[in-house]
Amino acid sequence: MINPVFFDAAVFASLLVLLSLGLTLTYLTTKVPNFAHASFATLGVYMTLVASRVWEVNPYLALPVAFLLSGVVAVALYTFILKPLAKRGATDAIQMIATLAFDMVLIAGLNILADYLTETFRVKSREFTLRSFDLEFMDLPMIVTVAPIAVAIIGIALFLMLKKTKFGIAVRASTENPDLSGTVGINVNAVYTIAWMIAGGLAGVAGALMALWFLGDPNLGPLLIPSIFAASIAGGFTNIFGAVAGGLLVGLAEVLGTRFLAGELGSWLIAYRPLIPLIIIAVTLMFAPRGITGVNWSKIRSKIWR
Amino acid sequence: MAIEPAAIFIIDMAAIFSIYAIINLSLNLEFGYGGIPNFGKVLAVGAGAFVIASLPGRIIAQIAGIEGDYIRENLTVVAQVNAWLLDNPVPGFAIFAVGVAIAALVGGALGVATSYPALRLRGDYLAITLLAFGESIRIIGNNFPPLVGGTLGVQVPDPLSFVPDELRFPTASLVLIIMVVMVYIYCEKTIRSPLGRSLRAMRDNEMAAESLGKDVGRVRMKTIMVASAIAAIAGALYAVYVGSTIAIAYDRASWTFWPFLMILIGGLANNKGVLVGTLLFVALRKTIIFFKDSFEGFVPFDVVWLDLLLLGGILLAVLLFRPQGVIVEKPTHTLGRPPTAKGIKRVFNLLFR
Repeated sequence: MINPVFFDAAVFASLLVLLSLGLTLTYLTTKVPNFAHASFATLGVYMTLVASRVWEVNPYLALPVAFLLSGVVAVALYTFILKPLAKRGATDAIQMIATLAFDMVLIAGLNILADYLTETFRVKSREFTLRSFDLEFMDLPMIVTVAPIAVAIIGIALFLMLKKTKFGIAVRASTENPDLSGTVGINVNAVYTIAWMIAGGLAGVAGALMALWFLGDPNLGPLLIPSIFAASIAGGFTNIFGAVAGGLLVGLAEVLGTRFLAGELGSWLIAYRPLIPLIIIAVTLMFAPRGITGVNWSKIRSKIWR
Repeated sequence: MAIEPAAIFIIDMAAIFSIYAIINLSLNLEFGYGGIPNFGKVLAVGAGAFVIASLPGRIIAQIAGIEGDYIRENLTVVAQVNAWLLDNPVPGFAIFAVGVAIAALVGGALGVATSYPALRLRGDYLAITLLAFGESIRIIGNNFPPLVGGTLGVQVPDPLSFVPDELRFPTASLVLIIMVVMVYIYCEKTIRSPLGRSLRAMRDNEMAAESLGKDVGRVRMKTIMVASAIAAIAGALYAVYVGSTIAIAYDRASWTFWPFLMILIGGLANNKGVLVGTLLFVALRKTIIFFKDSFEGFVPFDVVWLDLLLLGGILLAVLLFRPQGVIVEKPTHTLGRPPTAKGIKRVFNLLFR
């Protein structure tokens, strides 16, 4: 029997990889950290709830719906709020506050949805678990294998898309230099919109997967957001592949690190788990502001080995 | 003498307005005038509340020789402390005044700690770091019971115990309003001082300010320190006003996001606008809560969420359609002319225009 803490670690780390991939992608386009990103995932959580409890179908069918819904919401944030603000030359701080306000609207909407589900369908819609709705695969809950595999597939697909396709080149060009890309005929706005769609969609998928393992609640977003930012910042915030490394690092550090330290020092430590992403953010920004991928590892290696 | 519900409504609103007004004035100093996005405002507010919740009660228990653990037997200890306060109003008040002063000191010290990243990071990275700082206060308070009782919270002794019951809240509101007036005057004086002008210069063009010999780092540090001290005072007053403190109440939304919302609605870099924004916000929230019961049955959800939805929507609309807020920032105040020059000009106008 495998210790369930490894399942926690696997699912949580995959989730963070997906979320920080999306956050990094949107940061590359608009250069504004999006504080509403975690609530896109909460939308996905509710899609799984609706699929399994209201429609009573296979919960994995919620994945495409969650992708579309969260993607559309993300595009709405970009098109109707961030783009007009950026066009008017609003400062970074104002745009960040706008994403916070959008998050507040989303959270209110999710809470209303939760109340509605409880009222209408008599479904537990706060602090609910859907583990019993998951399928089994090799005597294990299916999510434990599906989540890492899905993340690997999505990561490789994104890599191939960015490196090998014409669209990927357009994305990289327009994040690097929007003006120049515009003059050579790339529709920068369309590229950014699609990037937001993908980012929001990935967050939705992450949420839909997460619902099958962790407790779901409308107010998950504010709890998750420090971990997502820690993962993205540890990954450098401007590097898609750094986001993968950062997600793994923060996910494993949070779950396994807390468990290990609690075993060594006492169980009182578990409650301080939310401090881990905050410490990771502070340490990264102070000592390696360009993230793990920005550190010149070969230089450090040559110094140590000589 | 019983107080009318409408009067209670207004008295309570005045108190909440005052507390938020103090926080918002301090945030306006940082963000409106100085351009420092302090997304960790909750840190100073929470620190102030924690100091007042854990310190004066213990001191009085020591003086009065009250037995019992302050956290584990909190209810009985605080009841005895309140009985002591009833008999000794003046020393009690003095101890609480010292408590508020210590809260301000702790807030200022945390402000200096906050300014460490604020001097080194810019824009979005700074905002994220400060947000992380602010988060930590709730987590620590929630898990470290000796501070404010962890998940159970603690009662805060009431320095107004000697006031008759029905006058307690009106008196508290009056004290709070006096505090707002003082902070308002302080902030107005500050922004008209050379420091205030350096702040705006730093916000609008840091390099130009530096080239004219302004020590931008020092100005930034001073501003955050003073603003955090003021916010800590507000946190302490809030804890005394509501009579209890629990760590999870010091969350990002209530003490960081809402202050930003209020100053943005009222108009940045504008102390009058801050008061207007605060009043609008507090009135709207209180009204929604007041009429909450009459909504029930009409909508299939808790009305609390309507309030969040509305506030978020209003802020987005303000940002998109009226970015300068209700009241627009005025140009820098300059020193008035000496009276003789004014007189000469008046005579000149009288003769030649």
